[in-house]
Amino acid sequence: MIDRATDPLVSVSGLQKAYGALQVLQGIDLTMKPGERLVVIGPSGGGKSTLLRVMMGLENINGGSITFAGKPYIHAGAKPAKTAIDFQVRRSIGMVFQHYTLFPHLNVLQNLILAPCKVRGEKKSAATERANALLTRFGLGQKATAFPSQLSGGQKQRVAIARALMLDPKLMLFDEVTSALDPELVGEVEQVILQLARQDMPMMIVTHDMWFAKNIASRVLFCAGGVIVEDGPPEQVLGAPKEERTKDFIDRVFHIRQ
Amino acid sequence: MALDFSVLLRFQDALLKGLLTTLELTLICIVLGCAIGFFVGLARTSDNRILRGVSGFYVEFFRGTPVLIQLFWIFFCLPLLLGTELSNFTSAVIALTLYMGAITSETFRASLRSIGREQYDACVALGLPRWTQTTSVVLPQAVLRAIPTLLSNCISLFKESALVSAVGMADLMFVGSNISNNTARPVEVLTVVALIYFVIAFPLTRAVTFIEQRILTKLAV
Ligand SMILES: Nc1ncnc2c1ncn2[C@@H]1O[C@H](COP(=O)(O)OP(=O)(O)OP(=O)(O)O)[C@@H](O)[C@H]1O
Ligand SMILES: [Mg+2]
Repeated sequence: MIDRATDPLVSVSGLQKAYGALQVLQGIDLTMKPGERLVVIGPSGGGKSTLLRVMMGLENINGGSITFAGKPYIHAGAKPAKTAIDFQVRRSIGMVFQHYTLFPHLNVLQNLILAPCKVRGEKKSAATERANALLTRFGLGQKATAFPSQLSGGQKQRVAIARALMLDPKLMLFDEVTSALDPELVGEVEQVILQLARQDMPMMIVTHDMWFAKNIASRVLFCAGGVIVEDGPPEQVLGAPKEERTKDFIDRVFHIRQ
Repeated sequence: MALDFSVLLRFQDALLKGLLTTLELTLICIVLGCAIGFFVGLARTSDNRILRGVSGFYVEFFRGTPVLIQLFWIFFCLPLLLGTELSNFTSAVIALTLYMGAITSETFRASLRSIGREQYDACVALGLPRWTQTTSVVLPQAVLRAIPTLLSNCISLFKESALVSAVGMADLMFVGSNISNNTARPVEVLTVVALIYFVIAFPLTRAVTFIEQRILTKLAV
């Protein structure tokens, strides 16, 4: 239980992750307070997705541990296959991916209620009611019976976000959820995430969209080569970075965008 | 020598009876074979090494040997092994079912493997238990994806079933060869027999194309 806003929601210490001989995360230390919105930026291959996948409990780790809301969540074992993951804790985290991960054989509504009904034993009628409310809120009220293949990319990602929210997550992870979208569809998805931000949903966001980063972040991490190079408020990391590598990256990205 | 198809009119009933036998045999073997294929396909993707080994051996054996020889084995060797007589029909059902099981298990295995890692990631991120992941996400998609190939498997089996005539079962092919021997008009008789197979198989192959398109559109994410 978190009773004081200053107690960390997430605390990562000494996190290491390798794919075979490739060291991808080389000792990450990070604490996140409730209500914080961390934006993770950095060059391709820097380990951003890997960090989020580990946080979601999708990967084994080689070293370190993570606690969530004061409870042990992930702990490295003698070897990666022995990584201990607390599945109960994992259920309080939701994630949306870059690639569409809706279940294509189920319609929108069925996608939303599958987990609540099967994981929490919620009644179908109750779950359907919540799902419809969420869909309406996200401008998808007309799409409840549509199949994923009948939706635009932006609609699919909004459904994916709604699906994750059905489980009342205490932390949301977004990994480049707009990268696969046509430019004109990016805004509608970012608006939905901004809406969540206004409700103080804690989140970790990987994005290459600097406008979005600036607007949503309460804190920005610059992650490269498997370590956190710079960590601070958005005005600092995006506006006046202290580290040379951060500065180079920001210059390059803003340059491309203008 | 002029072609004369009128001789066939006399054998309408015999041909119809042969066709019904062929259809009955094919349908039974499709149902049983698909059921075996489904579980063997699962076994081949299982974590259990013994299950994988045994199912793999079965599949490779039946895929790698001629169906005609499989038929002879079942017809002549299985009764010796079991110590009882088997009717022609039973032997044919056993042989073609085992063959169909091996073929369709490969279809199921391929469709199971075609389900991307993202689907599994999504299941984990939603906290779905392993059982729900399998029954609500993986299997329904795998079965949907398998349908077009399964239908092609069925059409092939329908045609392959003509081989049972070689061991004396009175199917459409068998009736056809008998008539052709008795009338000395092999060209006309076999052409008509081929047409009968074609009239049934052709609409089905068209249906496969149509169904495949629909399923691919639906599952395209
Ligand atoms: N499943 C995997 N197997 C092997 N190597 C992997 C795997 N996933 C990622 N990697 C490697 O790990 C490194 C970090 O990848 P990661 O996806 O975390 O980077 P990223 O910061 O998200 O990059 P991007 O901005 O391109 O998404 C890369 O070198 C990548 O090739
Ligand atoms: Mg990435």
